[in-house]
Amino acid sequence: MKVTVKLIGPLIYEGGFSEKTLELPGPMTAGELSAFVKINKKRPTIMTRNGKAVAPGDALAEGDRVVISHIYSGG
Amino acid sequence: MKGWTGYILRVNLTDKTWKKESFTEDFAKKWVGGRGFASKILFDELKPGIDPLGPENKLVVALGPIAGIPAPNTGKVVVAAKSPLTGFYGDGNLGSNVSSQLRKAGYDAMIIEGKADKPTYLNIEDDKVEFLPADEMWGKGTYFSNEWIYKKHGKNAGVLNIGQAGENKVLFAVIRSLEGRAGGRPGIGAVMGSKMLKAIVVKGTKQIPQADPELMRKLGIDGLKKARELDQKSGWSKQSTNAVLAWCNEVNGLPVQNMRKTSHPEAHKIDGERLDAARIATYGCPSCTMHCGITIHDDEGRESELDYENIGMLGPNVNVFDLKKVGSLNYLCDDYGLDTISAGAVLGFYADAIEHGAAKGDFKFGDADKGKTLLWDIATRKGEAGNLLADGALKAAKVYGKNSADYAMQVKGLEMAAYNCKSIPGQALAFGVAAIGGHHREAWIITFELKHSKRESYGPEKAAKVIELQRIRGGLFEMLVACRFPWVEVGYELENYPKFFNAVTGLDWTLENFWTAADRAYSMIKLHYLREFPNVTRKDDYPPAVWFDKSNADTEGPQKGVVLEYDKYDSLLQHYYDQRGYDKRGIPTMETLRKLGLEGEAAAAGKYAKLN
Repeated sequence: MKVTVKLIGPLIYEGGFSEKTLELPGPMTAGELSAFVKINKKRPTIMTRNGKAVAPGDALAEGDRVVISHIYSGG
Repeated sequence: MKGWTGYILRVNLTDKTWKKESFTEDFAKKWVGGRGFASKILFDELKPGIDPLGPENKLVVALGPIAGIPAPNTGKVVVAAKSPLTGFYGDGNLGSNVSSQLRKAGYDAMIIEGKADKPTYLNIEDDKVEFLPADEMWGKGTYFSNEWIYKKHGKNAGVLNIGQAGENKVLFAVIRSLEGRAGGRPGIGAVMGSKMLKAIVVKGTKQIPQADPELMRKLGIDGLKKARELDQKSGWSKQSTNAVLAWCNEVNGLPVQNMRKTSHPEAHKIDGERLDAARIATYGCPSCTMHCGITIHDDEGRESELDYENIGMLGPNVNVFDLKKVGSLNYLCDDYGLDTISAGAVLGFYADAIEHGAAKGDFKFGDADKGKTLLWDIATRKGEAGNLLADGALKAAKVYGKNSADYAMQVKGLEMAAYNCKSIPGQALAFGVAAIGGHHREAWIITFELKHSKRESYGPEKAAKVIELQRIRGGLFEMLVACRFPWVEVGYELENYPKFFNAVTGLDWTLENFWTAADRAYSMIKLHYLREFPNVTRKDDYPPAVWFDKSNADTEGPQKGVVLEYDKYDSLLQHYYDQRGYDKRGIPTMETLRKLGLEGEAAAAGKYAKLN
């Protein structure tokens, strides 16, 4: 299954990339994808899929665009 | 009394006099400092209806009990006056050595009255106040003026100054300091200019009184260390605030084309990664643990300090996606002393109004070069367009007509910051009920809306979150006075702040005490509003009509067809009023005012308008 992952802010340096399309080894939830791209589990994050908020337990689908971000607070 | 110096410096520019006035411990405990002091002083001393740009207006510079004391991000100053942009109380904060220097000079606040008869700057050194000629700085930008002052008074002086925009009474002129950045979005720089006051220079040599200086020293040093560690661990400073630009673009919250659109395919050209790559230096305010100012070379080779708000409003909001050109627009705003948020909003509004046939002109979205010329025209009120746009988007819209006020992106006259909320109701509410108009400083709840609520919800949980953050961001931090970033961005614990406060004052406050003080300050500002606008209605707390307009909805993407809904927004507003103890106009009820100990202020406001 292919998904595109976009990391935001400091997560880029943690995950080692900004955006890329990944071939996943099998079905994954959003939370599992976050771990797969090596985002620290302890770090509070917010994830969206195709522009809408997604919970860590939600299953991903072929072609999804997933954005994982540090939780911002608007400065 | 410990923690506070116990004195306010009152300066009269008309007759070149000054005096040192004491205040009581009761006043200090009730109003804490910063925004609390300023809102109370201006309520007591200004008559409703005065000309904000006349000599009867007063400029207040206010500090708090931990201002200037080494601890995380305490190098901040609140500046306030009756706003010429919004017509009621306005304030802002900026980083400056004035924070520590004015406290060391022996003052917690300064009230500046009257008007000088020629360009003047104030030089304050402990108990001495000098009224000095500012002719060599008048007409010059803030970079020149600030450096001129440093050459004359030394780099350790605290400096506040204005550029040409303040001198020419541009209604969104700010006060600047090279030790920090800019503050006073609702035209506090114009108030300074109207008084022919170019700059304030402060040096102090006294000890700031503290109940337990050893404890405060330990808490402060530990705090500085911890806050720095948290920043480094999180990696926040790598892109600073501008990391949020890419996220806003992904979640359809970016201000594009005067907030007509919510994302743009070229947004990546000005995002946090590009900013970090173009970085030549990083700057922070005094005592800063997490520097947010990233400088780049602009398209004319000048060093321009950028963050999200100025990039968002001078970039995508005017369809400019070249970081160097955004940097150039930002540099000019900083030099002229224009608020970057309002400047971007006004440029975007002007291009939009031209496109819609409401205004005449040759400025188009994406034309950064013409934008530069316009910024100078605005700062100097040159030409018909420059002079009109210098009054802000709403006042310009009233002249242009043709329903252009619907897309003047402001609340209560103050242009909104760089978040496009036509499909984000809670943040739209946060703009609607911000104390001084469309400001993001007091409450920002977008990640809460997406992660812990539902984006489309107009439920009471969003009103509660706005109030929670107003108490913290617009209350505690604006009254203490300190920067909110260590807490809000990297999780430095809020509980540290009462510890600092108690160490310097000897009191035993908890966060609950601060929430009461914050509610008092918010109610105080509402009474300012009521006094100036006795016919206030709840519509004053609505964001612009274009956010409710279906024809302005996204035409593609996940928020396609979504805009705010009037009935639902109104119910969300009512949740806010109910939780705040406000009436249907959004004004605190008598019961709320009594609970906050504001009976006297209620009686004073009641002479001008009805309280329920």
